[in-house]
This record gives sequence, structure tokens and C-alpha cells, in this order.
Amino acid sequence: MFEHTQMKCLHALLDTIIPPDDYPGAVEAGVGDYLQRQLAGDLAESLSSYETWLADLDAEARAVNGTDFADMTPRERAELLTRVETGVVKARWSIEPAAFFREIVEHCAEGYYSDSGNGGNRGGIAWRMIGFEVTG
Amino acid sequence: MSDYDAIVVGSGAGGGVAAAVLAEAGKSVLLLERGRNLSFEAVGRDHLRNQRMPVYGHNAGPDIDGNPRTIEADSFPILVGQALGDLRLLRPHEPGYQNNAACVGSGTRVYAGQAWRFMPQDFRMASEYGLPKGSSLADWPITYEDMAPYYEKVEWEIGICGDHRTMTHLPAYDRPYPMPALPLPHKSGIHKRGLESLGWQWLRVPRLINSVPYNDRPGCINCQHCVGYACPADAKNGSQNTTVPRALRSGNCTLRAEVMVERLDSSDGGRITGVTVIDAAGERQTYTADVLVLSCGAVETARLLLNSATRHEPTGIGNSGDQVGRNLQGHYYPGAAGLFPDVMFDGVGPGCSIATCEFNHGNDGIIGGGFLGDEDIVTPITLWKRFYPPDAPRWGIEAKRFMRDNFRRINDVTGPVQEIPSPEARVTVNPRVKDKYGIPVVHLSGKTHPETVRSARFMHERAKEWLLASGATKVWGKPPPRYLSGGQHQAGTCRMGEDSATSVVDPFCRVHSHDNLFIADGSPHVTNGGFNPVETIMALAWRTAENIVKRW
Repeated sequence: MFEHTQMKCLHALLDTIIPPDDYPGAVEAGVGDYLQRQLAGDLAESLSSYETWLADLDAEARAVNGTDFADMTPRERAELLTRVETGVVKARWSIEPAAFFREIVEHCAEGYYSDSGNGGNRGGIAWRMIGFEVTG
Repeated sequence: MSDYDAIVVGSGAGGGVAAAVLAEAGKSVLLLERGRNLSFEAVGRDHLRNQRMPVYGHNAGPDIDGNPRTIEADSFPILVGQALGDLRLLRPHEPGYQNNAACVGSGTRVYAGQAWRFMPQDFRMASEYGLPKGSSLADWPITYEDMAPYYEKVEWEIGICGDHRTMTHLPAYDRPYPMPALPLPHKSGIHKRGLESLGWQWLRVPRLINSVPYNDRPGCINCQHCVGYACPADAKNGSQNTTVPRALRSGNCTLRAEVMVERLDSSDGGRITGVTVIDAAGERQTYTADVLVLSCGAVETARLLLNSATRHEPTGIGNSGDQVGRNLQGHYYPGAAGLFPDVMFDGVGPGCSIATCEFNHGNDGIIGGGFLGDEDIVTPITLWKRFYPPDAPRWGIEAKRFMRDNFRRINDVTGPVQEIPSPEARVTVNPRVKDKYGIPVVHLSGKTHPETVRSARFMHERAKEWLLASGATKVWGKPPPRYLSGGQHQAGTCRMGEDSATSVVDPFCRVHSHDNLFIADGSPHVTNGGFNPVETIMALAWRTAENIVKRW
């Protein structure tokens, strides 16, 4: 679905939206798998927007930092996304940056916090983190 | 000679009761259900595809493909579905569709089972409040006293737990509930003290759940997946494990699932003789019966009547007064969420245990009102999508820490508002759009009456007061805008009355123009109370079916 560069960018993005700390970040928890499954199914119509947005994000990173998004430090990525979220961008975006970022955040949360049957929340790790225990 | 004494269309709350009462009275019954007969595993626990949080689909039907409806673009406050000329084309999980589950048991397979009697005032809303401009508000032709024995029957025969002594907003019960109320979760105890500090009445929420073993099934195991899912202990009492098995055990009932009724069949003289159905393989069949009972829910029952027009009734069966499909009601659910200093969540399900009926009636300048209750356990993604504070971070390490620190501290209270009926809130059929069976689909139009929105705003404020009294340090939520309501509590589209010019069915839920056609679902409700309607649907179906037997 995504080629190597896009995947690197996507994973860096997901781990900036839900970063690792003493609990796994988005990618380790399986959000990438969740998203791949969704983009091949319920969210198939969003795939091209994802591709465009990720390409624009890398262009933005190069305009701001001279590197791809994935090669920025976590702090630099978070700062860049804060600007993207408020629509303050340097590169020419071919998709509205802020609105689609909100959608990606939503998809990322779906993968992280919904049941692991959807591909994310691997081993119920997100539920353990927040204290949602399933007893029956 | 007909194939069956009676055909019941739909196996939800009303259809299950009708099938059981008729079959146990010795009538041969064909019970038809368009959905599947779903196992616990088939319903599953998908947090993104369930009746409570249908982000990408449903776990209990209908399938998202092949079952579209259309809606006027301005009937819903957000842009929904796909454009279709001036209309929007909706799939079942999309907002505005007014879905109810399609499976054996229908909504009762996956509901919360909140089991409320309507109040005496709920049956005489026009007398209590007058007629708001533009509304079709009316009294029911029957009273609480007519319904009370049937409420009691449902409580004992289907199985409801609760504490009748706390139901101080109602006339005294003749019999207590057959089972004690469910255990009180930690947060419900806190909300109870909040209500006490405000001086507001509180009660233990009655539920169609076995709190202890009852009717040969076990008691609730207090799991976290009640509303929106199937019960792992089979302790939640829906049609699929109560009335439908009773009907089948009588030996007089045949259940056929995955069968869609295309139309009601009529004789040359206009008498209803049976149904034409299409099964899962696409085969068309006809069944004849002496009596027909429609229990498809307020939206689909209206659709079936309108799609069954004859030479004698060219605008649809029972529709000579142009009333079929009008007055669609459901429930606005105003509420609010709050952040609490201490952990509220203890994982004890189902969760909604404490409520107040302080504001169902008698509110200055408000027509009716509703109850407010605490909430069933909210899954993490549902909290994220519905109850997350609007000013909290949504991404980055701060958002992750916020969820980690506060998932168990965020709690909400909410409740259904009595809707003020509007004749323009309406189900018709769209002959230009067909479902997978080739049957013209439902078209939805209009909006609820503005008085509903006023009541909802009033209740939203009360919800915030309650949360603050329970100790919330911060509360949030928005009062709802005006839109078309129906959904899982859908009602009103075939209203009950004495006069065929202003109603569709008589006080025993018989379609005025036919002596053998009855309705047993929410459609006959003239108004829908400020309560979950399922116990009223079941009680009314019991009364209707008993009367059918009595007059056979």
C-alpha cells in the first residue's frame, strides 16, 4: 500500500501523535496495522488523501528543517505538527493540512484505544495503561 | 384456509411478545425477521462497529450495503451520507439513518435494557400542557391505569430488576420487581450523594437484566460490554432469550430469519390476506394468515404500510387520513460530562444505576422533560469520541498522559427527553431508490418540534448541575441543535387514537381500516415519554396480543 518512504513518514507521524513513554507508542501498539487494514477497507476512499498529505508533510519538513519528517527529532516533529495543526505552513500543500491532520489523529486514536481485534491496542496494552479492565 | 393463524413481522420487543402471547394461546404463528439469528460470538466486541458506536458499521444489522435510506439534507445538522440530487443517501451506520438493530431480537439483542414505565402524565400530554404551535401533541386514548397491569406482566414474565420503593414518581406498584436492583457501582454511589445534596429525587434504574438467576438463566456478571453488545452470561433479557423461545416452546410458532417482507397482500376486496417475502436466496414466497401483526419498528412498519398500497387504499394501508409515517419521534439525549478529582470507574457493569425523575414534568415553561441517569460503562474509544473535554490535548505525549490519568475520572450523566411530536417529522418512501431486495426505501424528512430542543437545553443545564453536585471540578458538553430524531427509540409513526382522520390505529393497536391488521412496536405511541420506551412497547404489545386472542 505505502512504499518505503511513505511508511517511514507515516510511522514517524503516528508515533508523534501517540509517542512511546513507559507504554508503547502508536506503532509498537499496532496502529500502523490498524490503519493499513482500514485503508484497504472502510477507509479506502481516504488512501489517496493519506498519500498526498504524507508527501506534503515531508515537503513541509524539508522546507522547515531540510530533512524528511521521519529524520527529525521527536521534539522537532511535534513542533512542526503544532504549526500544521494551526495551518501555519511553509510548503505548498495540495490538501488542507489542518483538517486532514485532525482526521489522522482520530484514526490513530481508533487504532490505539479500540479493541485489539481491529489491529491496534496490541495485547490490550492501551486499556492496561488507562485502566479499562475486561472481566467477563 | 390460511397457512397460519397469525403472521408477526419483526422479532424485536413488540414482535416477540406478540408471537409468544398468540402462540401460547394456541394460535399457529409465523414469526418473520429480516435479520440473522446472531450468536454471542457473531455480535462480537468490536468497539468501532456496534450499536453504541457505529463508526464503520453495526454488529447486529442491518448490513451497511444494500439497505440505504434517503433524508432531506436539512433534516440533519451535519452533512451526512452521499449526495443524491437534493437528498442525502445514507447507509445504516451513518448519522441520521434512524437505525435499529436487524437480527432475531432486534434492538433487545444489544440494548441496555433500561426498563421504564411511562408516567401517568406521559399518556395525557395535550391535557397537561395544551397544544404547542405546529405540534401534533395529543393524549393517548388509554391511560397509565390501562397499562399498569401489562407493565407488571412484563416485569415478572420477561424479567426486570429494580427497587419499586424508589420509583416515587409513579403511582404505587401492586407488586415489587421480581429481582433486586443490580449492585451499585462506585460512581453511582457518588452520583446518588450528588442528587441527595441537591434535594432531587433518586431511584435505582430498573433493567431488563437478571440481577440474580431468573427464568432458568443466570444473573448478571457485571461485565463492561452491556449496552451495544450481546450478554456473555445470557442474563440480559431480550426477545431472543425470553419471548421468542416461549413462542417456539409452545410448538405453535415457526421462526424464519433472514426473510424480508416486501408487501402486505390483499384480496380483491382490500382485506389483508398475508405477506409476500423475499428470502436470503432472493426467492419470493407468499404466506397467508387470518391476522397480521406488524412489529418492524416505527420506521420500517410505516414503510411496509406505505409500500403495500392497493386499489382500495392507493396511498398505503391505513393511510386514508395521511397519517402513516408522520410524528416520528425518538429521544434527544442531552447530558454533560465532568472531570472528577477521584477515580469514578470501578469496572462494575453495566453501570447506569442511579437516576432522577425530578424533571420529567412540572418544569416552568417547559413541555414535559425527561429523566437523567448516570451512564453505562463507556469504552475507551467512545470516551475519546464523545466525552473527551474539548480543551484537552488530542495528540502528543500530553494527550496520551491525559487519557492515562483521566479515563477513570471522566464521567457523564444523560437521559432521554420527551419529544414534542411534529407532523412534519416524517417517514415516507422513496420510489426512486431501492434496497437490495428491490423494495423502495425509507425517505426521512422534517425535524423535531422546537419545543423538544428547548426541553433538551433545559435538561443539559440540569445535567451540569448534577455533575458539579457530585464533585466534578469541570463540566462540558453542548446543548443539541434541532434535527430529525428517531433512532433506537423510534416511535409515533402510526399513532393510536379513536379517529381515523387523525390516527392510524385504534386503542387496541388495530389499523382503523382493517379488522385483522395490528401493530406491536413503538409506532402507536402518541408520545414517547421521557424514558426508554422498551417496557412500554412490550407492555402495549402484550395488551394488543391478549385482545387479539380475546376477540378471536
